[in-house]
Formats: sequence, C-alpha cells, structure tokens
Amino acid sequence: MASDVKTEKIDKSLFKFAEYDSRNAELIGYSNYSYWRSTLQVFFKNKTAVILLSVVVLLLLFTVVQPYLPNQHSPIKINVDADGLQLRNLPPSSEYWFGTNSIGQDIWSRIWSGTRTSLFIGLTVGIIELIVGIFVGSIWGYVRKLDPIITEIYNIITNIPTTIILILIAYILEPGILTIIIAMSVTRWTSMARFVRNLVIIIRDREYNLASRCLGTPLHRIASKNLLPYLVSVIMLRLALAIPLAIGSEVFLTYIGIGLPVDIPSLGNLINEGRMFIMTPSLRYQLLFPTAVLSIITISFYVMGNAFGDASDPKNHM
Amino acid sequence: MSKYVLKRFFRSILTLIAVITVVFLLMRMMPEEGYFGEAGTDKLDESQKEAILTNLGLRDPMHIQLIHFYSDLAKGDLGDSLIYRPNVSITKIIKQKAPYSIAIGLSSLGFALILGLSMGVVMAKEKNKLADKMGTFYVVIIRAVPPIVYYLFIQLYLTQIFKLPLLFDIDEPSSWILPTFAMALGNIAGYAMWMRRYMVDELNKDYLRLARAKGLSERKIMVSHVARNALVPMVQYLPASILFTIGGSIYIESLFSIPGMGGLLVDAIQLQDNNLVQALVLMFSVVGILGLFLGDVLMAMLDPRIKLHSSGGGR
Amino acid sequence: MNNKKNNEVVLSVSDLSIKFELRGRSLKAIRHISLDLFKGESLAIVGESGSGKSVFTKSFMGLLDSNGWIDTGSINYKGTDLAQFKNNKEWLKYRGGEIAMIFQDPMTALNPLKKIGHQVQEAIELHQNIKGEDAKKLTIEILGDVGIPMPEKRYNQYPHEFSGGMRQRVVIATAMACKPNVLICDEPTTALDVTIQAQILDLLKEMQRKYNLTVVFITHDLGVVANVADRIAVMYAGDIVEVGMAEEIFYNPQHPYTWALLSSLPQLGTKGEDLYSIAGTPPSLYKEIVGDAFAPRNPRALEIDYIKTPPYFEISETHKAKTWLLHPDAPKIEVPDAIKRLHEHFGGNR
Repeated sequence: MASDVKTEKIDKSLFKFAEYDSRNAELIGYSNYSYWRSTLQVFFKNKTAVILLSVVVLLLLFTVVQPYLPNQHSPIKINVDADGLQLRNLPPSSEYWFGTNSIGQDIWSRIWSGTRTSLFIGLTVGIIELIVGIFVGSIWGYVRKLDPIITEIYNIITNIPTTIILILIAYILEPGILTIIIAMSVTRWTSMARFVRNLVIIIRDREYNLASRCLGTPLHRIASKNLLPYLVSVIMLRLALAIPLAIGSEVFLTYIGIGLPVDIPSLGNLINEGRMFIMTPSLRYQLLFPTAVLSIITISFYVMGNAFGDASDPKNHM
Repeated sequence: MSKYVLKRFFRSILTLIAVITVVFLLMRMMPEEGYFGEAGTDKLDESQKEAILTNLGLRDPMHIQLIHFYSDLAKGDLGDSLIYRPNVSITKIIKQKAPYSIAIGLSSLGFALILGLSMGVVMAKEKNKLADKMGTFYVVIIRAVPPIVYYLFIQLYLTQIFKLPLLFDIDEPSSWILPTFAMALGNIAGYAMWMRRYMVDELNKDYLRLARAKGLSERKIMVSHVARNALVPMVQYLPASILFTIGGSIYIESLFSIPGMGGLLVDAIQLQDNNLVQALVLMFSVVGILGLFLGDVLMAMLDPRIKLHSSGGGR
Repeated sequence: MNNKKNNEVVLSVSDLSIKFELRGRSLKAIRHISLDLFKGESLAIVGESGSGKSVFTKSFMGLLDSNGWIDTGSINYKGTDLAQFKNNKEWLKYRGGEIAMIFQDPMTALNPLKKIGHQVQEAIELHQNIKGEDAKKLTIEILGDVGIPMPEKRYNQYPHEFSGGMRQRVVIATAMACKPNVLICDEPTTALDVTIQAQILDLLKEMQRKYNLTVVFITHDLGVVANVADRIAVMYAGDIVEVGMAEEIFYNPQHPYTWALLSSLPQLGTKGEDLYSIAGTPPSLYKEIVGDAFAPRNPRALEIDYIKTPPYFEISETHKAKTWLLHPDAPKIEVPDAIKRLHEHFGGNR
C-alpha cells in the first residue's frame, strides 16, 4: 500500500507549506461540557424517571386543584341520604368514586386531602432539614475548633435509632401534624449537615479549588461552579425523598396509635380504617384505593428523587 | 484494631448515656395521668394522686430521680408496669416476651441475609439486564412503599393462597412462616441493593485489571476478589437491618398477634403505660446501639486497613 | 545492539484498528497500525496521553474495555490470530501465561483486602501447576527475587503495609509468577518517586535477562525510554508515526511530531529561553482524520498533509516514518536546533 502512494503522481504544488493557524491547533480537542446540560441529559435518558416525573407533576397539580373541581365532596363531611341516615360503606359509584367509609365520608376526597397533608409534612420537614442542615453544616465545616465536638455529637445522634426517636416524641407530644413534623425533623437534619460540612471542607482544602483560588478565581465563582451543582442535586434528592418518608412515618405512627387524630383525613388514618375490613371482601375497596394511591405517590417520588440524584452525580456524566 | 474498637465502644457507651438521660427527661414531661394505673384518674382525689406520685419518687428533685433511675437500671430493674399489668416488674414481662421477638427477628435476618446477598450478586453480574431490572423493581417497591401496605397484603392474600394461619399460634409451626417472610422482605431489598452497589463498585476497581492480566477466569475473579471484597462493607449494613427488623417487629407482631416486644410496645403506647413505654424504648435503643457497635467490630475484623485510619470523623 | 533482521518475530500486528462506542458515538482509537515485535527486544511506545498507547497494547491481551472492539486487522502470536478471539475462554490460554502486563499505579493495582502472598500465589497456581505449600515456597522465592526484603514475613501482609515502590515490585512478581514470554509495562514508573523509578527499571531489565522476556514499555517519559529501549515507536492520534532503533529515533528523527516530542525534553532547553512545548491538543478521534493527524499543530505542515495520509518512508532497514517531508518532492527543512543539541547532550551516554 505504501509503495502505491509513493509511485502515484502527486501534484507537486501540494508540497508547499500550508498556512499555520495556532487557533486550529487548539480547536480540535475542545470539549463543551456543561454540568446542568449533562444532568438533564442523563435524567431524560431514564425513561421511567421521566414518566414518573410527569406523574409527580400531575399528582402535585391535582392535589392542589382537586377541591375546586366540580362534583367533589368534602373530605370531612358525613354524607347522609334524604332521611338523614349516614351513607355508610357505599361501594364506588358515579357519585362517590371510591365509595364511602363506615361513617359516610367520601373516600376519594379523603385520599386527596390526606395526600395534601402528607405533602405538606414532607415539604416542611424537607425545608427544615435544609435550613438547619445548611446552618449547622456551615458552622461545622467553617469553625475548625468546633469540628471534633460537632462530629462527636453527630456520631451520637446517628447512633440512636430513628424509629425510636419518632415513637418517643410522638408519644410525648400532643398528636398532630406539628408533632410529626418535629419528630421527623429532630434527626433528619444530620445527613444534610454532614454533607454541607464536607462541601465547606472541600471548598477549603480540595486541590482543584485551591488551584482555582490561586489562579484568582473569586470565591463566589468557585462556589457556583464547583459546589452549587452538588448542593442543588442533594437538595432535590432529599426533598423528593422526604415525601415518601413523611408518608411512611405518618402511616407508622397512626398505626401504633400516636399519629394524626382521626378527624384529620390522612393516608395513615385511611389505611387504619381500611384495615378493619380486611376480612370483608366486599368492603376491601376501603383499603385497596388508599394503598394504591399511596403506593403510586411514594414510588413516583422515590424513583424520581433517586434518578435525579444519579443524574446530578458527575460520575455518571459519561 | 483494638484502639479502634475501644474508641467505638466508648462512643456506644456515650450514646447510651445520652439516650437514657434524654428518654428519662422526656418521659418526665408526660401528663401525670399515666401513673395512676387502673384506679383511673377520676376515682382519685388530689391528695391521693400526690401520694402516688411521691411514692413513685416523682416529686423528688430531678437529679435525684435521675440517679435513682440509673442505679435501678444498673441493677437490671426497669420499674413496674403501671397499666398493662399493674405492679408487675417490667423485667419479668420482657423476659416472657423477648424470646418470641428474638426468634422471629433472627430467623428473618438469616433468611434475608442469604436471599438478599445472592440477589445482589446476581443483579451485579447481570447489570442492566432483565434480572437486574426485576431486582431493582423489587427494591424500589419495597423501599418506597410503607411496609404496612405490603404486610397487610401478605396477611390478606398469602394466607389464603398458601393456606397458612392468619394469626400466630405457638403450637403451630406453619404460623411462623409468613411473619418471618414478611419481616425479611425489607432487609432482602436492603441487602440486595447494597450488595449490588458494592459489587459494581468493586467491578470498577483498578486491581481487577491485574487480576485479569494474570489470566484469572471471570468466575474466579467474581468469587475470590469481587464478592469477597464487596462483603466487607456489607457489614456496615448489619446494624441498619437490625433496626429495620425492630421497626418491622412493631407492625408484624401486632398484625399477627405475636406475643413479642414489638406488639407489646403498641399495646403499651395505646394504654399509655408510661413506665412500660420508657423501658421498651430503652431496650430497643440498646439493641440498636449494640448492633452498630457489633458492625464496627466486625468491620475492624474484616478490613485489614482499618487500624491505619481509625481517626476519621463520623461513619 | 543486536541485529533485528535475524530475530524471530514474537508478535505481529497488521492493519489493526480499534474503535470505541462512547456516549452513542463511535471513536477510532487505533488507526491501522502494523508493527512487529522481536524476541528478546525491549520496545518503547512513546506518545502523549490519549495517543492510544495503552489501548493498543491492551488489545494484545483482550483487555479492552467492554465498549471497545477490534475493527480491522490481525494480531498474530505463535500462529494464532488473537484479534479473532470472541470470548474470554480463548483469551485465558494467552493471558498471563504468554503475555503478561504490569500497570501504572501500583497503589491501586493490588486487591487491598487480600494478602500480598496470596495475590502472587494465585498466578503461580494458575500458570505453573503448583499448589499448596510448594506454591507458597515459590511465591516467597519470587518475592525475594524482585527485591522484597523478608519475603516470608511480607507474604502475610496486606498492600497498605507496602510503599509504592514495594507494591510495584509485588506487581512485577505477580507478572513473573505467570512465566510469560511477553511483558507489557504500561507506564511502570510514572506513579513512583524519581529515586525509586531507576530501581524499578533496573529490576525490569534484570527480569528481562533472567527470563528471556520480550518487553514492551509504554511511556511518555523519554528518560525511561533512553534508559531501557532497544527500539522506539512514536504514537500520535492512534497511529505509529515513526519507528526505529533507539539511536535512530534520538539522533536522526524524521517526523515533525518526533521533533516536537524530543524538543520538549527539559534537558534541551537553553538558559534564558522558554522551554519548548507543542501548541494545541491532539485531534478529536470522533472525527475521521484526513491527511497527517499532526498537521494542524505543525507550524511547518505542507498542503498535502491536509489532504492525504502519508505512507511510511523507509530511512533504513529498521527505521521508517510517516511524513510527506521524506517524499522526493518535499521542500528540505532544517532540523530544529534542539534536535541537533540532542547529540551533544546524550552522545556520551549511549
């Protein structure tokens, strides 16, 4: 092959120097990586996550809008017929889509009311976690003298079983939404604090940031380019996961009798009510409907949160 | 290694002291009705109530109460039940109940360990293939949905399908199957998920290049390098799974009427038996802290590198 | 220096192309390389990061990452075309026992949770058909051979108890335990302290003599090359642009890329002048490369360099280069000053 080319006639004019442009030399190997674009790309590649994201968005919209839609019943109103008798245990119908419970309340609207309660608890816990976590974490990472003390406190708190704290606090305080929020928030901030602390230490000590600072990059630029992506992705992940956790905790506490009082429609109360009819096949819809909706919600948030967590991890940006 | 274990031991003791003190202080904030037992609040007048509280030592200054509390604990005395079985020593109640919880808890842990680890190995080997996707689906469902939902459905449908007893019966061995199985589901998911993750981590490690360049077969690499190394960090998950089992026992024991500690806690809470709740919360915390310590010790035994970097903060 | 013409060819690569699939795009990492490896020689493959040195040699052992594959060409070893192998089972007959490899970073090359001795012994049991106590004895012997003091004691220790240099010795012991014919050393000293580097290179030379090995060094350190290589192949953008005996490459380089590479040796700098560096970055391998891949970074590129890929032009029986400058019609170019200085600098050493 080589000899072919050599004997082949080649236009002699080609053997003169070409113009050299140093910019061309640089151009060819250029990579146009962008953190957020890669994150979105990885996320949107995950078909399941995209579908569940749409589910989550629709769910969120629906739970907000549901009370204002036509033909909705009040979640706490005890429905009666023309004679004033309670419409107890009505099977699903065009009037009561998921039927009524043992005292004649509309299960459909109770499910969405319960979902609103759970979403509220989850978001509140998530936001508290964010505020406390970032505050404690910054101090933890920034004030070197406090590091060993806070580290030890952290180790002790994380050594205590979360379920136990949840039970203890819910047992002591008056049952209610606030109690559940407090019980969940008491331990949940720790992992966010630890994460923020590590971020602060990274910005302080990690070599690429040191190098960046030596080159005169302003601190806010380092923070926004090197830290913010991590922070935002973890915030999204924790917020998304706070919702299934809030639902799980509420259901658990309500089950053992220290959750939300029965007059607040909640997913836990619905399951507890439905549980009574586990042996009556004709009334099982009172258990099936709430658990089905609850499962869709928790799975959607869980998968979506994890998919976003994975997508925002630069290690997966291949 | 011994220095590392010692350090972890002191941390566990410290945690224990913190937990006991916090539990004690929080329980003093409880409404005092919980202390009057079956006599009930209505039948007693103020002076009688006062006498009962003084008798229980609840009118002493807080620090004296705390010292009493600790010295009683040191003697293994958890106090008496107030309402559940009035004036019966809680230690005695727990002695009756604990064997059931331990038996079911341990068998479900063992079951989960075998099934979960093998599932994780298969998922890692079949990464992104059908088996992995099915496994991931299972893990997601189990971890996302509150356990009570699938516990209820197990009790509802599996008892019918397999003709198994609906409730626990000490004389009927087949009545153990479903509670053990149900309690294991969560841990199977956890073990499988972590085992898969650690295996995949190991599969990306540089040392495998040398192992491959040596000419080892993939099978040999999987068994004697990847799975072996992945098992070491799995030890960290052991404490979490013990805690999960405790949480599960609270549901399962009350659902299947198993006369164990988890069901007892639900009863104590519903009866507002302050002393019993306090004692059970402490017991569960001790088991949890003990589990964590056990995990640390096992880790130190399995990972030869640990003696070098024992100073790292946090876990 | 022995005459390569009389030497037996151990491994013969011809027209080898390797592609990778990355983020849904395919990338050509190796572009039609042909190269013979002679028995007992030590060949150094030099080139900057990303030129495909490692990928090229990994293909001799079937160790390409799972997203890479051999697109064209053959790798002939003892009458078998390794490029045709489809599964691991076929490779296992050659991996380790025939061709062994040691890696750049000794800190990560060993399993951190397995005793050193067991990791070496694994190779002995696999390739030398010795088991149990005998295998252990031999392991300890090999550990001693590669210069590990108190091998009986070290046998039971873990990698974290070893320094970087000692770990690299263990890695070499592992390779030796396989009893290979060909040893590929992928940047064996890059991750080590300068003082340790020379020791490891000496050890490798000793092993080469002792076991009559054919050694391929992959490196971007020309100091290492000068120390160990009989023959040098210069790689750029997935192709070998110049190959020849070490003297020929050092004292009579022909390809502009070889010039540039040699000019960037710090030893060749003159006081008061900036060190030479090659402007720009290697080309993206996602795109089909037309002409001479180095042209865009070469200030003295010819127009034809952008149009047609140059063939090999032979300078001597052992020396050939892919550059249009060797074409009879090409303008004569003065060799860069730095290259002239090479002679003065290293002339005494060789």
